[in-house]
This record gives sequence, C-alpha cells and structure tokens, in this order.
Amino acid sequence: MTTTKTEEDIDVKLIKHIQEGLPVTKTPYKDIGDALGMTEDEVIQRLKKLLDAGKIRRLAASIAHRKIGIDANAMCVWKVPRERVDEVGKIMAGFEEVTHCYERPTYPDWEYNVFTMIHGYTDAECESVIQAIKEKTGLTENVILYSEKEFKKVGVRI
Amino acid sequence: MILCDTDRKILHRLQSNLPLVSRPFLELSKELGIDEDTIIERIKFMIEKGYVRRLAPIINTQAMGREATLAAIKVPEERIDEVSAIINGYSGVSHNYLRKGRNIHIPYNMWFTMSAKDDEELHATLKEIENRTGLTVRSLPTIKKYKIGVRFKIY
Repeated sequence: MTTTKTEEDIDVKLIKHIQEGLPVTKTPYKDIGDALGMTEDEVIQRLKKLLDAGKIRRLAASIAHRKIGIDANAMCVWKVPRERVDEVGKIMAGFEEVTHCYERPTYPDWEYNVFTMIHGYTDAECESVIQAIKEKTGLTENVILYSEKEFKKVGVRI
Repeated sequence: MILCDTDRKILHRLQSNLPLVSRPFLELSKELGIDEDTIIERIKFMIEKGYVRRLAPIINTQAMGREATLAAIKVPEERIDEVSAIINGYSGVSHNYLRKGRNIHIPYNMWFTMSAKDDEELHATLKEIENRTGLTVRSLPTIKKYKIGVRFKIY
C-alpha cells in the first residue's frame, strides 16, 4: 500500500492532536473532527487504518500502575544460548506478568541477551514469576534489576 | 485498594481498544452494564486523580518510521542528578530509571529508552549525550520482540 505524503501528514496531525488524550465525551471522534476540520467518519476511518497498519498499537488507557498499587517492576535479564532465544522468548512472553520480552545485543562487558520486564504488586510476586520462568526454561544465569528511582516516564510522542 | 469495583471494571476494559464507533462509551456501557454517563464521569475522575495517565493512541515508534533503543550508562553516584537531568532533557527519552542488580553486580546503573526520527538522529543524540557527560553510552536496540503490551491485572 502506498500512502501519499499528504495522507501521512494528516495522520500525523491527527495523532499529534490526540496523543495527550482523547476528549472524554459522548462523541469523542466527532469532537476531534470538529477541532481538525474532519468529519467524525473520517476520524474513525483514519484511526482504524492506523490500528490495522500497526502504527498505533492500541487506542487505550495508559495506567499509572504505581498509583494503583502495582509498585514492583523488575527488569530481569537472561543469558540465553543463541539457538534457544526463540523457544525461550515465547515461553517468557506467555507469562501474564511479563509485559515486555525482547532480544538485545551483547557486548564484551554485557552478556545478557534476553530482557524481560515484569510488573507485579510486590517484589515477591515478581520473584515468583522469575522462579517459574527458570523452572520452565531451565535457564540459570539471570540478573534482576529493580528500579531504585524513576527519573522520567512518559508515553512515546511523535 | 483505592479503586471501587466499578472503576476497576472500567480500567480493566480500557486497557484494550476503545470501540471505533460514534458513541464508544455507550458501546462500553452495554459490555460492562454500567451506564454511559457514569463511565464518562469515572474515567474523568481517574484521569484527574492520576490513576489513568491518558486515554490515547499508543504509538508504535518503529511502524511510524522512528528508530528506538534501550541505552545503559554507568554514572558515578555523585553525578546521578546532573546526568539524569541531561538525559531527561531530550524529548525522545520516554523512560529513565536508576537500576541496580539485586543478585549480581552489573556494569551500568542508569537505563533509558530513546526514540528518534531515524537511525542517524538516534546515534547523533546518543553521541551528544556522551560528549556532554563524558560517559560511555551503551546502546541495546531490540533485535527481536517477543512481547510488548503493558496490560495489568487489575485486582
């Protein structure tokens, strides 16, 4: 599918307008359209296309997880043999508490190649998930990195 | 717990897509058995109280043509405030944490995610951070994604 520059520009304008938050009204898409000089239907169709194309992952709420009691977040990094990364990545992704799971590069002073983010109500909950991952995968070399201080946390903006 | 049952129900549902119909909250009211006005009022309340950061599109940086990475840096204890202020000053930085290894010593302590309009801008910005801080920035971009989707279990 080819999109002209103009189409993309309109999409960017739409996203920029709503990335700080949709209007919480009975007819949010109509209200966005009114502000941007589009029809309600055009707003809906554009958002649908952006979602289908994966440019928008979700049109959803971002929760301040710490504020509602989900206080613990552990970044757990793993040394995984290259040929097992795919198998192990899928197992890890299957845990509900694992919110992110990525393969990343290694360096001479950094040999951990698989990163998991685990969110829970307590450190103990995170650790029990890590224990379960170890049992299910047979992996033994990992480090748990707890956040000691949050300097910045904002959603990605364009 | 801070949230009532109604709020929890709404919050749980709002982590998935808002329906793309003229009256999305009316659609939710049918799903949840909570009336439209109450849903709107509770969402506004949760945004105002800061339980919900925003109800908005969650952008896929890469699909939008942007490049992103996780970067790690070893910052001497006494320079943590200074260096975090430099890093946070970049609008492409979405997360920045001080992290320490619980069971094993690790060579970095400050971890941040950064996106930029392309690879060139990303590397130039990381380089600029190195120049301004005099510290080495280790870039750990994603090779493969197995999961991304922060949805929380709401008890």
